[in-house]
Amino acid sequence: MFKLALKNIFYYKGRSVTTFVLTLIAAYFFIVYVSFMNGSHANMLKNALEVYTGSMQVYQKEYRTQGGYDYLIADNSQVLPLFQKTKGLKAYSSRLETYGIASSKAYSSAIMLTGVDFDKEQKLSELKKALVKGVYDSSGNCLYMGKGVAEKLHVGLGDKVSFVGSAVDYSFVAELFNICGLFKTGMYDFDNQSAFMNRHYFDSVFLSENMSTYIVAMVDEMKENDEIAAQIASALPSDLKVYTWKKLMKSMVELTQMDSFFGYISMVLFFLVIFFVIMIYGFINVSARIKELGILRAIGVSNGSVSRLLLYEILILTVAALALAVPLGAYTAYYFQIHPIVIPGLSDMYKEYGVVSDQVPTQFDPVTILWNTLLVFSLNLLSIVYPILYTRSFTPVEAIRHV
Amino acid sequence: MKKIGILLLLSALLFANEAEDIVRKVDHNMRGKTIYMQLNMTVKTKYHQRSMEMKTWSEGKHKSFVKIIKPSRDYGITFLSLNGQMWQYVPTIERIIKIPPSMMLQNWMGSDITNDDMVKQSSIVDDYSAKLLGKKGSVATIELTPKPNAAVVWGKIVSQIDTRHYTGIKDVYYDENGVKVRMFTYSQVKRFGSYYLPTVWQVKPFNKPGHLTTLHVKEASYDKPIDPAYFSKSALKRFSR
Repeated sequence: MFKLALKNIFYYKGRSVTTFVLTLIAAYFFIVYVSFMNGSHANMLKNALEVYTGSMQVYQKEYRTQGGYDYLIADNSQVLPLFQKTKGLKAYSSRLETYGIASSKAYSSAIMLTGVDFDKEQKLSELKKALVKGVYDSSGNCLYMGKGVAEKLHVGLGDKVSFVGSAVDYSFVAELFNICGLFKTGMYDFDNQSAFMNRHYFDSVFLSENMSTYIVAMVDEMKENDEIAAQIASALPSDLKVYTWKKLMKSMVELTQMDSFFGYISMVLFFLVIFFVIMIYGFINVSARIKELGILRAIGVSNGSVSRLLLYEILILTVAALALAVPLGAYTAYYFQIHPIVIPGLSDMYKEYGVVSDQVPTQFDPVTILWNTLLVFSLNLLSIVYPILYTRSFTPVEAIRHV
Repeated sequence: MKKIGILLLLSALLFANEAEDIVRKVDHNMRGKTIYMQLNMTVKTKYHQRSMEMKTWSEGKHKSFVKIIKPSRDYGITFLSLNGQMWQYVPTIERIIKIPPSMMLQNWMGSDITNDDMVKQSSIVDDYSAKLLGKKGSVATIELTPKPNAAVVWGKIVSQIDTRHYTGIKDVYYDENGVKVRMFTYSQVKRFGSYYLPTVWQVKPFNKPGHLTTLHVKEASYDKPIDPAYFSKSALKRFSR
């Protein structure tokens, strides 16, 4: 039957070429589309996590719902040794965030001022890489300011800005700070609202020694993040809580899930069209061969063998198309993972979604490619079910007489 | 029947007038024609406690000037309230900051008093309708509700007032949904000339456990002329030193 199927494939060229080409295009397109979709989502998350968020953060339980200085981590020295002991962490550090009004001579803007350990942040975030002017790890009353904030205040390197806010004991703080460095991460809100200061000086102004808004950590391997977070959570004092990036970036995770969902819906529609075209071509082909199949049945070939013949035909065509489409698709996915497509202006257009670069990389993932391939393979096999059932509805005599 | 109706209406009007009269007298006691005070303010939060001292000058309902004198870190910070607007001068940055309307509900100097409290105390008399809820001995309970179109932030204020000297005992502030937000309590009433003034005021916000602001009036003098220069924007810098 296999040899006969092979002969039929070469004999019915029109149907074979259509099925082969459609399967090839569908499989190739599916693999590449999914790799681009997953790649851009992964890129968005990676940017957001590596720029500043880290892979997990530890807060006092009520901070994220209540906010304010009443819910700070009051004793860093009790918590930080736990991070030191934990294996699998690339880096960790404490941060203290405060909010206030920054003003130049004529302009004001509400900003988030964060006291950070610049040395540790180098390993933890991309703040240093984001430096565009001046120095990164400044000391004293120096600000490392988002370029967007500086533009709003119409100030530059070496200028002074005042900051009015409150210290952690709620006392009034009004200080003049020098701008010693400017950064641009590409994350629109972040660059437009943030400024950083070395922790030592920050603590002296905001009276926040040994306190923090949260402790941020980055793991060596992202896939181990949940496990390490659970390990830390189990050892933390009961008033503290670990938030993994999935919770911290909930809106972005939901956005990517939603985007993937609609992406898959469009692919389903695309596949439905392909599936029906293949099925219709298969059906037309089988309909034209009813007489031939009837003769086969009349000379003693069983119904099952005829079905197997049709199945072999689609199987051979599908495997041949996939044998070409999968390596091609996998290579494309791999190539654009290493050499992402650059679309100038993309980051500007989608900045509010956390897109910080104009690059659109793919994600080369053999498991994803495998399930993409299996899906196309299954759909193709499914497309022959109806034609098989159709042929089985004829007796050999009816089939021979079929016009 | 008609007579009973008229009687009820008259008594309602009488109670309203009495309530408004009480509120006006309390306000007069707190304010005089002019008043100068030296206050100590202790702010207790969940983790910290700190104190500060200030001098205040006010004239009528619409003019007041505050200067922080302690701690040294805050010395010379001045505030001017003029006709419902507010400015602040901060010597360390040598800037005058106008407090925008959006920041009126922010805490004043990290205490549980808001900027709005500093500016709009007069509105208790002008912007709220007073209703006498009851009277037990010399203590009258009055409900203050905003007048239509009054630009106020509270949904309701319920005050307990000692009518012997017309001094406040307790004010409970409710938001527009009727939820209790904070409570002022007043104690240690002292006589200053013809005025009676509680010298200890405490503010307790209900939504911030562990927070308490206590104001002690260390010194007060009423009805003495105040240099009009205090109530101009130039005073912010001039009297900061």
